[in-house]
Amino acid sequence: MPPSADRSVASPVLRVDRVACTAHGVCASLLPGSIRLDEWGYPIVVAPRIDEEVARTAIRLCPARALYLAQR
Amino acid sequence: MTRTDTLADVLDAAGLAGRGGAAFSTATKVRAARASHAELIVNACDGEIGAAKDGWVVEHHLSELVHGATLLAAGRRRGVLFAAHRGSRTAQLLSAAGLDVLEAPPRYVSSEESALVSLAGGGLARPMTKRVPVVTGGRDSRGARIRPTLVLNAETVWRVAQIAERGAAWFRSYGTPTEPGPRLVSVSGYVATPGVLETQAGVPIRSLLDAAGGRHPGAPAVLVGGLGGAFLSPDEAGRLQWSRESLATVGAAVGPGVLTVLDPWTCPLDVVGQLLRYAAGESAGQCGPCMFGLPAVAREWDDVVLRPSRAGEDRVRRRVELLPDRGACRFPDGVGRFTASALRVFGAHLSLHAGGACGYPSRRSESRAAVG
Repeated sequence: MPPSADRSVASPVLRVDRVACTAHGVCASLLPGSIRLDEWGYPIVVAPRIDEEVARTAIRLCPARALYLAQR
Repeated sequence: MTRTDTLADVLDAAGLAGRGGAAFSTATKVRAARASHAELIVNACDGEIGAAKDGWVVEHHLSELVHGATLLAAGRRRGVLFAAHRGSRTAQLLSAAGLDVLEAPPRYVSSEESALVSLAGGGLARPMTKRVPVVTGGRDSRGARIRPTLVLNAETVWRVAQIAERGAAWFRSYGTPTEPGPRLVSVSGYVATPGVLETQAGVPIRSLLDAAGGRHPGAPAVLVGGLGGAFLSPDEAGRLQWSRESLATVGAAVGPGVLTVLDPWTCPLDVVGQLLRYAAGESAGQCGPCMFGLPAVAREWDDVVLRPSRAGEDRVRRRVELLPDRGACRFPDGVGRFTASALRVFGAHLSLHAGGACGYPSRRSESRAAVG
């Protein structure tokens, strides 16, 4: 199955484990179109549906391991 | 077909939705619980402000409640846990009946579904991030395994027993097609006889308040759903119905079934301020947007009450917009809804404050001092 068709079926969204998140802000630097930070540095996910491969990089680089993909 | 399958099918036919606030399909949860061999926690905490109905179920229908739990736990060896606040009358009644009681600390978020699962697993009674629903288990934020657990509200479990006994058609003879079944509502605050009422969706809210002895005519508003709910103006409380559709027209919801009539002698803006400060203190302090966001909302609220202005109201609104979907649980979402509705219902009164004319007895001495 081509990747685009695959995405349209699964269509995961980027989510933040709020208990794990300690406001490093790495996600906002890596995903400026999807995440901005509030005044305390905690992420605001403005566009949760993003390219899965790009998301995986951010997930891997989050120092708190707080990013994950979910079905909704 | 197993017994549990049959039970889930009957619950599906009855259209039972959870009575703890989220109104999620009980049949769907029960099927998921069966697939993951989940354990059962019956939540009788009445965690919302003004809630009393789950304690009422324990007090008046304990044998049916236990029967419902037994039906839901069919085929599993481990015991069912009954959650209640530590030191509460409900906890005493459950213990006296020889049931396994999960005693939750009397804090606002400690009776949230995943907080009870954490407590049952030997952890603190604090909400967990639900990367997957707790009914299927998954892992917590530190990677520890979560035991799959079916958490159902006590009223829901009592309804399960009733449906198993009397059938789906009986259940659907109450309420509306979209919100079927008999249901409980706790009425508190400034009514003559606060208590728990047996009612159904679709009835006028006015009739519920009347059944509790009638609201005080000077009450500035009626709060639906406590700290996670929304205010109704006296006019709205007089004309809306107890249903999802009717309440949704003003941004409110049936939630955990709580009506609170506000004090006629106290400025409602101060009541909101008190509740917001309480909310800020009830954050479990785990999620940044909640632990910093709730005190900020409380601060901005006090500020706009002290110095009413359009800009101040906008600051509160901007804070509120940053609360939803940014916590492990829905506590910040609820406080956001509560605050937004306070602005909506008490906006006109806020304008009176801007002119120095509150009028509520609780503030009279203060305005005299300001004038004199």
